[in-house]
Amino acid sequence: MRKIVLLALVIAGCGGGLQPEPICAPSLVGLCGTLRFQGAIPDSTDNVFIAAYATVPQTCNDLIANRRPLIPGSVPYTDSVADYSVELAPDTYHWVVAVWKKLGSLTLTPADTALLRVAGYYRDPADTTQRGAVTVPNGPAPGDINFVVDFDNLRPATDFVTCTAQ
Amino acid sequence: MHRTVAALLLILAPSQADAQGIVRGTVRDKDGSPIASASVSVRGTTLAARTDPAGRFRITLVPAGRVHLYAAAIGHAVADTVISLTGGDSTIVDLVLAAEPLALPPVDVISSRVPHFGERPSTSVADVTTQDIDRRALNTVDEAIEHVSGVQMINGQTNIRGSTGYVQGLNSRVLMTVDGIPMNQGDRGGINWDLLGVDEIESAQVLKGAGSSLYGSAAFGGVINVTTRDVPNGLHTRLRLSGGGYGNPPHDIWRFRDQQGVIGSGDLAASYGDDVIGGRISGGYRHSDGYREQDQEDHLHFAAKARWNTANTRVDVSGAWADDRYDVPLAWCNRGECADSGQVYQPFRMDTSEYGARTDSKKSYVAAQARTTLSPRFAWSARGSWFHTDFTDVRHTMSEYGIGNRFGLAGQIEARPDSTRAVVVGLEGTFSDVTSDIFGKHSQSEFAAYGQSEQRAGALRVSGGARVDFLAVDGGSLTAVVSPRIGLTIPTDTRARDGGMLRASVGRGFRAPSMAERFVHTFALGFEVIPNPTLRPETAWSFEIGHTSAPLFHKLRLDAALFWTEARELIEPQIIQVVDSTGTPHIEIQLQNVVRARIAGIDANVIAAPIPGHLTTTLGYTYLSTRRQLAGDTTTGPLAFRPPHQLTLSADYAFGVASVGADFRFASRPESIELEAFVDSRRVPVNVLDLRASWTRGPVELRLLATNVLNYVYNLVPETLAPVRTVTVTAVWSH
Repeated sequence: MRKIVLLALVIAGCGGGLQPEPICAPSLVGLCGTLRFQGAIPDSTDNVFIAAYATVPQTCNDLIANRRPLIPGSVPYTDSVADYSVELAPDTYHWVVAVWKKLGSLTLTPADTALLRVAGYYRDPADTTQRGAVTVPNGPAPGDINFVVDFDNLRPATDFVTCTAQ
Repeated sequence: MHRTVAALLLILAPSQADAQGIVRGTVRDKDGSPIASASVSVRGTTLAARTDPAGRFRITLVPAGRVHLYAAAIGHAVADTVISLTGGDSTIVDLVLAAEPLALPPVDVISSRVPHFGERPSTSVADVTTQDIDRRALNTVDEAIEHVSGVQMINGQTNIRGSTGYVQGLNSRVLMTVDGIPMNQGDRGGINWDLLGVDEIESAQVLKGAGSSLYGSAAFGGVINVTTRDVPNGLHTRLRLSGGGYGNPPHDIWRFRDQQGVIGSGDLAASYGDDVIGGRISGGYRHSDGYREQDQEDHLHFAAKARWNTANTRVDVSGAWADDRYDVPLAWCNRGECADSGQVYQPFRMDTSEYGARTDSKKSYVAAQARTTLSPRFAWSARGSWFHTDFTDVRHTMSEYGIGNRFGLAGQIEARPDSTRAVVVGLEGTFSDVTSDIFGKHSQSEFAAYGQSEQRAGALRVSGGARVDFLAVDGGSLTAVVSPRIGLTIPTDTRARDGGMLRASVGRGFRAPSMAERFVHTFALGFEVIPNPTLRPETAWSFEIGHTSAPLFHKLRLDAALFWTEARELIEPQIIQVVDSTGTPHIEIQLQNVVRARIAGIDANVIAAPIPGHLTTTLGYTYLSTRRQLAGDTTTGPLAFRPPHQLTLSADYAFGVASVGADFRFASRPESIELEAFVDSRRVPVNVLDLRASWTRGPVELRLLATNVLNYVYNLVPETLAPVRTVTVTAVWSH
């Protein structure tokens, strides 16, 4: 009896279970940082999410199909500052972007671009006019991937990619 | 046809001149204490009875002469005796059973559709006994099932040897019967575990592997038969009170309330019976604050049962009604959806936009069954049932409702043409309908005929048969499904009656799509879920070979089974892209017959009684190897929600009027989940330790149960937290 209980305790102790996971936890494989919000939040706001692209998208289709994660989680946007983190596969990501989404259902097709706007993106610290690239290792996530979300400057997808008629 | 039936009756029914008598008596242990629910039967006939709480039994229509009487009970060695009976006489037989913790449980209801001679069937059957239910002081019926080796409850859905996985509450690949009557929902095909209060349940049996050759659709992966308490002779009352609390989250950052959540219930039952009639009524209420945010539940239930006995007929009428109102924590809170305290997720909290979501659910059933023994070699039974469900999901975004009915009629004939053969044939019809804003208004009819036979050839027993089911949706054309089965048992140790046995069986299973699967139209994960009326039945061939050892060193018994299932056209949700009339593409979800799968593995069990009369331990291990292949795709992968390794450990130590015990469950992390890219795929192994203690004196029992004492935090399905530590004290007074 005692052996069984001890065995159970040992097995249970090894299992771990779900654990608290703070933003930028050491166990995160992905990237994290801080968003600074500015401008007036539109009434039609559904949420704000962070997405990453290993290659800079060229078309509307790339924008949807190559988005990682495919279904991103939302980031709190009502305070002026919010920490965020995104789980990603190890790779180098050449565009890390904050996306504003208006109310409505996504379809995972280029038609989604009607609901989405680019609200900000991570910039190269050496040249802030350019996109910044971030390498996600198979280990602790790079932190301090910080950038600004500007609700007064929400830009349509066509400012960045070519969208054929939908 | 009429001549054939008449000839059969002439052969099987006795003439009035045949001398018959009554055998009655008691079954007791060596200390003289009565043994309840012992099975007493006359060998080679359809005559059988179960003992009441006073250990009494009565069998009529027993042929005069030398009568071979057989008695078996859980935890006791069998008694096998021959008595002499004079025609027209009544003989009293008092049987004494010796304690034998390693004894195999007697064959019971689940085998009633399998012609048998009292021995164990050729497929694996696990027993949840009255003692198992009592000593665990359980609060719900499904808690009794999840301790069975090879069974995993996933958010209320039953997984027997990896059969079901998790199917979003839209179907079940396991059939539940109550006293042999199918009770899966008419609309969704699922199982309402809260239909009956736990105090109504006497025992349960779990048939592992495809059972469609006996039970038809839904028995694709197995059958769970729940046996309710019988109505004993005399006046009996039973009061059960239970109260306790939930543990707080193990990490302060997850705390979501200041006070502790509580759980409490009360059940009261009263019955009266004599040799002719009997009745029982019961009712109960349960309240739970839940272990998560917005997880409160209130449950009210009533049940009634009546029996009427004549010399050769027994009629049972039963019914139950349950009303539940439970809050719905749809999914745990992810970053930004609640006061997340800087956490990526908060498993005890939920998305604030779903505050106020709840489900109101009512369910009820009425059933009647009659069994007449025409002769020692011939009996017939008939039954009718009506199962009604009514739910309303109240949400901010939209509310949904569904009303479902399932009507059933069945008739069965059992015959023993000679001492080496047993035969069961039957007809069954089921009509289900649903009216719902997400499933529409539809109906489904099922008609079935089945026949099974068991032939004894020396020590060898061969059983076989088939069932043919005809299905029609909305009165359309019939789809026929044939489910054959063959089984074999060979004793491997003939020195003892309860010796070793090799068993092998192969059978075909199928499951008709539920009306919910065909016609569901709702929204999930932000996408539209569209109906698929053309869904076809899932089918599977299941093979099993197993061995039960004779007791080793009088302290140990082993049972191991190798199982293999090849399934076709399994129904799974698919993400599809469709183009609407304006040429705009959309992503939608649809259930489709797309998966071919193999489920193979080993199910091994050890029961040991190292200190006879005091210490009993069990160990169960199930290894699952699954392979899933999509139609038109050569890539393969594991089936979703199937942990490769499951382990159950149990130990009970009894000393005088008290006992202590422990259960441990382990399930490895599932290799795969459905729609992985669309949900939080976080998942961990299961490590749950339960402890219990009990004290019994006269009519009073006190039981302490602490489940998940390590407060291990885990989930079985995405974004849904499994129960945390719960401590309850239960008091039972029986009179």
